[in-house]
Amino acid sequence: MTTLLEFADVSFGYTAEPILEAVNATVSAGECIALIGPNGAGKTTLLRLAAGMLTPASGEVRFQGAPLRRRSRQHIARSIALVPQNLDVPFAFTVEQIVEQGRTPFIRALGGLQRTDREAIENALELTDTGYLRARIFNQLSGGERQRVKIALGLAQQPRLLLLDEPAQQLDIARQMEMMQLIRSLRSQGITLLASMHDLFLIDDTFSSVCSISPGEPLQQGPVDEMLCPESLERIFHCPPGSLPRKEICLA
Amino acid sequence: MRPALLLLLGIALVLAVLGSALAGSVHISLAEILGAVFRGRPLSTVDREILVSIRLPRIFAAVIAGSALSVSGLLFQGLFRNPLADPYVIGSSGGAVLGASVGIFLFPAVSVGGFSTITLLALAGSMTSITVVYAIARVNGRTPVVSLLLAGFAVSTMLSYSSYFLEALDQDFGVGSRVLASWLRGAISTPTWTQLVIAVILLATGLAGSLPLARRLNTLALGEEYASQLGLHIETVRILIILIGSILTAVAVSLGGLISFVGLIVPHVARLVLGPDHLRLLPVTALGGAIFLLIADTLARTILSPAEMPVGVLTAFVGGPFFLYLLRKTRQELQA
Repeated sequence: MTTLLEFADVSFGYTAEPILEAVNATVSAGECIALIGPNGAGKTTLLRLAAGMLTPASGEVRFQGAPLRRRSRQHIARSIALVPQNLDVPFAFTVEQIVEQGRTPFIRALGGLQRTDREAIENALELTDTGYLRARIFNQLSGGERQRVKIALGLAQQPRLLLLDEPAQQLDIARQMEMMQLIRSLRSQGITLLASMHDLFLIDDTFSSVCSISPGEPLQQGPVDEMLCPESLERIFHCPPGSLPRKEICLA
Repeated sequence: MRPALLLLLGIALVLAVLGSALAGSVHISLAEILGAVFRGRPLSTVDREILVSIRLPRIFAAVIAGSALSVSGLLFQGLFRNPLADPYVIGSSGGAVLGASVGIFLFPAVSVGGFSTITLLALAGSMTSITVVYAIARVNGRTPVVSLLLAGFAVSTMLSYSSYFLEALDQDFGVGSRVLASWLRGAISTPTWTQLVIAVILLATGLAGSLPLARRLNTLALGEEYASQLGLHIETVRILIILIGSILTAVAVSLGGLISFVGLIVPHVARLVLGPDHLRLLPVTALGGAIFLLIADTLARTILSPAEMPVGVLTAFVGGPFFLYLLRKTRQELQA
């Protein structure tokens, strides 16, 4: 498998105190990775570094072999999309108008939407099953619908790599299952995915591997069953050994 | 639907101009005006003088100021991601008045490249105040209503009273004081045709500059961070909005002073009809603003005839309650 994204000794902190230290990780084309770790471990920060929104204090984030920091934002946005946890829109934009914004990196300075842009938008609406919502006001949607529209917005960028920040957060169980179904269908479309996941129970059937970050621990990547076994989770989430139940979490 | 709406607004504007040209204490009939325009039948000297030197300049001033205020309101609302950002509320009008006052009291006769220092300083004042309000009101990339209103209030108040300070320094109580007084009341002046030509050039520049910004304002609505992730050059867009919004504010202020709430009402009504897409809103807001302020000014100079009130009084009467309604609505949305 070809390496799409690579973290090479990446360190980063918003203040002098680093959040991520000497992180090494790779994402290969076609992978579907769940990013787990305790609150505040830097999952969102890692995703933002992967999207080139942040620049590492040291080390390098490379996409297809080339350092992200040398690419323009517009260039990066044509290959990498980051779907944030929250998206608040002050005006009553419709779903279609929101998803259209995903074409921003492709539109010329004085141009408008072209046929290829329209196709990408339709495709994104179709993949996320949000076409029937197109004329609805984004702010009036339910949590699950909003989440799918946000992913459609990311997909409209036609990214090689889709980064999702907590896609299943604050959804009821049925909506969580829908979200996982959507992630599985994106995966089957060959879209490379890296998603931070709070709820470990949702990971098993959906993701191909797990990546963990935890303060004081090196980043780890591995198959789902190994990474989600109690011993591993106790280390990642800093629980005393033996404190996690042996059965329920180790679904694999 | 959009071309039809624009055509409708265009016709409404022509009718409003005609209606306003007829209105006033000296009676000039429609037949006389149409005869002069289409048949080349000359008007009486007095009528001609009234039309060409008084009514028409004032009409064009209202049209230009209304259009400029509404579009700058639209731009600032997009930049602040807040429907309450009116040039008057956020202090950019106040900055323009202060800048213009510096020009009028300290450098009245200087001009740079054809533009009077008054215009240039109005522009500089508007840009400075909006930059300050923007820097202060933003909290983590967002502009909460409270901080926007408080920062705007503090800056506007400071600026308006600084203008009075300048007036106090003025020794000869001359033209400057009268002009400043009319600016602060929000009264549309009767400009010279040269002033109007400069105002039209600036308005056209501002509108042309707004056009490529409109699509970017839609992207900006997703938040600065997201917009930047999508490859938008946030800094460039921000500077252009502040520059163009300030040019438009300065044009409006140089013709009519502190006219409140026009930049709030017109974009809001347009948004109710057309939705929030800035590309569709821009032309409708420009035309709608022109019509709105022209009608308001025509009423302001006729309803108490022969006395006149500043149009700022009318827009405040209409706009104040409207502003409160919007504030209440925004608050409900925040709580929801």
